[in-house]
Amino acid sequence: MSERSESDRLQRESWLQRMLRRPEIGSFVVMIIIILALAFASNGKAFNALGLKNNIAIIAQLGIIAVGAALLMIAGEFDLSIGPMIAFAGMSIAIMMKWGLPFGLGEATPFLAFLITLCMTLAFGWLIGNIVVRSGLSSFIVTLAFWFFLRGLTEVCFRLINQNTNVSGLPDFKKESWFAEQMGGEVFGWFFDAWYWIGTKVSAGAEFTAEMTKSEKLDMINYLSFLNINRKMEQWVTGFDARLLWFIIIAGAAWYVLARTQLGSWIYATGDNKESARANGVPVNRVKIGLFMFSAFCATIFATCQVFDTNSSDAAKGMFKELEAIAIAVVGGILMTGGFGSIVGVIFGAVTFGLVANAVFFIPWIDGAWFRVFVGTVLLAAVFANERIRKRITGGI
Amino acid sequence: MSKQAYMRVENIVKKFGPFTALNGVDLEVHAGEVHALLGDNGAGKSTLIKILSGVHEPTSGTIYIEGQPTAFRNPRDASAAGIGTVYQDLAINQLMSVTRNFFMGRELTSRFGSLRMNEMNQIAHDEMLKIGINFSDPTQAVGTMSGGQRQTLAIARAIYFGAKVLILDEPTSALGQKQQMEVLKTIKRVRARGDIAIIFITHNEIHSRLIADRYTFLALGEVIGSGTKAELEGEDIRRLMAGGAEIKDLEQELAAI
Repeated sequence: MSERSESDRLQRESWLQRMLRRPEIGSFVVMIIIILALAFASNGKAFNALGLKNNIAIIAQLGIIAVGAALLMIAGEFDLSIGPMIAFAGMSIAIMMKWGLPFGLGEATPFLAFLITLCMTLAFGWLIGNIVVRSGLSSFIVTLAFWFFLRGLTEVCFRLINQNTNVSGLPDFKKESWFAEQMGGEVFGWFFDAWYWIGTKVSAGAEFTAEMTKSEKLDMINYLSFLNINRKMEQWVTGFDARLLWFIIIAGAAWYVLARTQLGSWIYATGDNKESARANGVPVNRVKIGLFMFSAFCATIFATCQVFDTNSSDAAKGMFKELEAIAIAVVGGILMTGGFGSIVGVIFGAVTFGLVANAVFFIPWIDGAWFRVFVGTVLLAAVFANERIRKRITGGI
Repeated sequence: MSKQAYMRVENIVKKFGPFTALNGVDLEVHAGEVHALLGDNGAGKSTLIKILSGVHEPTSGTIYIEGQPTAFRNPRDASAAGIGTVYQDLAINQLMSVTRNFFMGRELTSRFGSLRMNEMNQIAHDEMLKIGINFSDPTQAVGTMSGGQRQTLAIARAIYFGAKVLILDEPTSALGQKQQMEVLKTIKRVRARGDIAIIFITHNEIHSRLIADRYTFLALGEVIGSGTKAELEGEDIRRLMAGGAEIKDLEQELAAI
């Protein structure tokens, strides 16, 4: 047929054009810029063996909660209670590990403490979700209320049970508990083993000698740090923080659900236009409640990793984390109005934020507060970019 | 009438408190026919279709599906009885792809809960092609489609999911001239299948003349005229459209100002 039809007006695009229109492209470019800038400004130290481990640790930590926040935002809701939920879960686990199970049920194991805590946080998530969908109030206000409620509750529980707003100096449960090791221990040791093995081959013969000057020694240390070798010529770093594994699991599952499952379609439909989703039989309320619970789940994983990593907890844990999680989601291309976005973008956003948050450790002359200046700037730019994407899609023909 | 109507409603009354929205309305729709439901704003068209699609329950009166009295307690009941309603807002999500909209809430999944995306793309494409539009890419966002294409998507979706009675709520009202014609063509194609009854709600007398087989005119909650195209041949459709008022009277009123 030679006749023109309306469908001809939508241009078929090349692979490259399609890539450039993807929502993740902005966060990808920003991420690459940050990686290069950080590598340059820190003389590469940010990506030597220890630098990589430390950076990945904070990226994974922020990423875990950002994925929860992102799914909820795609469904059109906010969760400001992520930070207090982290503090509450951390408190709950730490106190159970120190004082035993509630109601005198005896000693707590790390897994049992986690499980009981998870039941409580999921119940809070369920409650928040129900209040939001039943009242029709903005989730901003409802979760703000829970922000205060949970922060207060955490501190009160600390004082009542522990007479102090922190628990510290817990024994290292990682040694005896498999579960604690999976949350607070190390993973992917083979990666650093292989790095060290290659390092020994590359550096063969290099060693510290008595006649080296101080600066020569420093150069040598720097050189070895890129080969995962410490100054005693032993393996320096042995593994990533376990939260990397959790980040991979959570982000992978979220990606799969969004891109490939019915639930994913329902999440998009709920955030895009709740009424039309409902008219087509999507259980909008159950989707939202479930996602509030998922957000609480992510906060609990965050807290559990933190407690078993540091063997301590305090009432101020998770401060501002809800705002960082939302910021990462927005920078990752999630629309504030819901209905659009991808997990891949959120991962890029988490990498960017993690690197910048950690930059102060690798660039000694930088003031740590620049982190927030950067966040503010990038956030604003991202919102404008996202808004353009939304208009381009809904403006239509 | 020799042939049995697929759906027949008898003496439907709907009261909202003291307000009588519908006062004894009869209507019947036959497979393979377009039944135009006309009337001015406030005539009760919306209330009637909400009753037919299960959103409201009638105060009194009966709905017969293939001769059997049936009660719809909610939209799901109506949908199960084969009533597919395409509302003015179309119940479409602009940011989502054509396929995801087509299957919204009724996605095809494999045993492990994952979407059969290729199959869904194919079905969405084929079903829309059947009733008239060929679009290149079922993964495009609906926001990029024209109003007429969106109508077609909503109609194709209702048919695919088993609508025997297709209720179209002013499908041409928000469109440009050319797109209005596209939608009318789509309606005729659906009619030509012969197994679907269409209730076509409109303000537009010309559109109804172009495709309707049967008419019902509502004014102030009552039927003021109905019949097949042939039966109404002599009547002044425009007079009925205006709720029974004479156009001449209206012209005089206008001239008097």
